[in-house]
Amino acid sequence: MMLGANSDIYVAPATGGIPQRLTTSPGIDTDPSFSPDGSKIVFESDRGGSQQLYVMNADGTGQRRISFGGGWYAAPVWSPDGGLIAFTRRGQDGRRIGIIKPDGSDEKVLTTGPGDEGPTWAASSREVLFQRTGAGGRNGLYRVALDGSEPRQLTTPQDGSDPDWSGVMD
Amino acid sequence: MRKSAFLLVLLLGASAADAQLPFLRKRDNQPQQPVLQGIDALRADFAAQAGGTTVYYGAESVILGAPARAALTLQANWLRKHPEVVVRIEGYGDGLDTRDRALAVGARRAEEARSYLLLLGVPAAQVSTSSWGKERPGLGRAVTVLVR
Repeated sequence: MMLGANSDIYVAPATGGIPQRLTTSPGIDTDPSFSPDGSKIVFESDRGGSQQLYVMNADGTGQRRISFGGGWYAAPVWSPDGGLIAFTRRGQDGRRIGIIKPDGSDEKVLTTGPGDEGPTWAASSREVLFQRTGAGGRNGLYRVALDGSEPRQLTTPQDGSDPDWSGVMD
Repeated sequence: MRKSAFLLVLLLGASAADAQLPFLRKRDNQPQQPVLQGIDALRADFAAQAGGTTVYYGAESVILGAPARAALTLQANWLRKHPEVVVRIEGYGDGLDTRDRALAVGARRAEEARSYLLLLGVPAAQVSTSSWGKERPGLGRAVTVLVR
């Protein structure tokens, strides 16, 4: 939610009502994602000077940074089984998709880029779907397994972007 | 017979008048420059007087540099003279930003530009903001658009 263009994370009842503000930093806080049990939220913030991933309790307490691999981290998404967070990492060599544990350990880059972004999880938590911008600016959808195998293109008749995988078990 | 001679004279007369007024022919042959009216005229005047409608930001930056402040100072001078004109500042994100980030950065850039105009005495009600995020990617910038 933006007030005066300073983006912060708010939480609001699904039935409507007054949103409760969870972050108060002067930086840009955005891209929140709940843990599946609803107890925690991962988000991105540039409060420390560059975009990084932070985890906090669902009431806004206990905010701490979990990404320290260099470059910028963005668009975190919590896996359905709660064990991992997928993200887009930006560096000098472009944008790649990666995964990390919620405590900041075991970071792993899944794709080679250079134009990958917008990860979304399979219900199984074993695969990630994402958007790849290729040469010439064409967007396509790709899926990649966590075992380090090559991403496979999801063929669509037109360009595709901003995927969101349904919660149905595949 | 006399009637047709009279007609011939009349036509010759018209032709002679044409020759004496060359601008009449000129107007027929060349397309007229459109005369800007209303908001279009104001937009053209704003762009001319303010030296442009755009302020640029550095990559990854939401800070107004010296050239951006100079551009906004000229915009503010014009806007103070035209309090009846309402403008919207549209912020753009960087093409390499992720979607939410680009939206937030565009909003911040627009808001920084608006704050500077307000600091220079432009009434708050005269200036609104919006963000294009990465929907219209390009150089990091904020553009002042005359709305009405």
